[in-house]
Amino acid sequence: MSRADSPGSPEPSPGSPDPAGAAAGGEEREPDARFTWANERTFLAWSRTALALVVGGLAVAQLLPSFPGVPGARHIIGIPLIMLGAAIAVLSYTEWQANQRALRRGEPLPRSRLPRLLAGTIAVIALLATALALLSAVTSHP
Amino acid sequence: MSHPGGTDDIEDADPGLAAERTELAWTRTAISFAAVGAALLRRHPLAGIPVLALSLLIWQLGRLPGSRGTGRAHTRRLQLITAGVTGIALAALVITLASGWE
Repeated sequence: MSRADSPGSPEPSPGSPDPAGAAAGGEEREPDARFTWANERTFLAWSRTALALVVGGLAVAQLLPSFPGVPGARHIIGIPLIMLGAAIAVLSYTEWQANQRALRRGEPLPRSRLPRLLAGTIAVIALLATALALLSAVTSHP
Repeated sequence: MSHPGGTDDIEDADPGLAAERTELAWTRTAISFAAVGAALLRRHPLAGIPVLALSLLIWQLGRLPGSRGTGRAHTRRLQLITAGVTGIALAALVITLASGWE
């Protein structure tokens, strides 16, 4: 992901007007359009990632040859991928909302939970797929 | 990540680049949906056709000029993407669970 895809720190741009009394707590104003766009691009990038996970899960369950000796192995790998895609689609929207709110209030951006979720779940699924492949190899070639 | 200095940033000279990047991101997203729709089309036309239609809609929404603020229409466009991905995920779950457990 390029620098352009992350909103970065919401420092006001040199030319933006600073309305009187902006320091008052809870005041909201429209952020610099570039930050709004960057937030939107981040959301779109996560949505494409979610879509790829869903399609990847569907492809595993539909197109992969079945694992001999391990019934349901393709479903065990594919269904978590599809669910992960759905979760990332929803969470990326709530994070877009939270980021937009923080930008309007001039607060620091909340830390994203999505990278940890994606990396952790993919690692677990990869270990699961390895275990299933080994199990299939052992049971089908005694 | 952060903008160092800020004054050397080319976007300060030409803020249109950020708008263009965003439009390209929308186009990429529309192409992703179109690819998924085309892939589904042969085996599951009932799922593929709506996804292809959705990709056309996303492509149009990404080209929407102006009014790019945080208004209601803006939020709706992003909600459409989220609904699209979760809808495809649901369809994928149904297709997967309906296929044999072997």
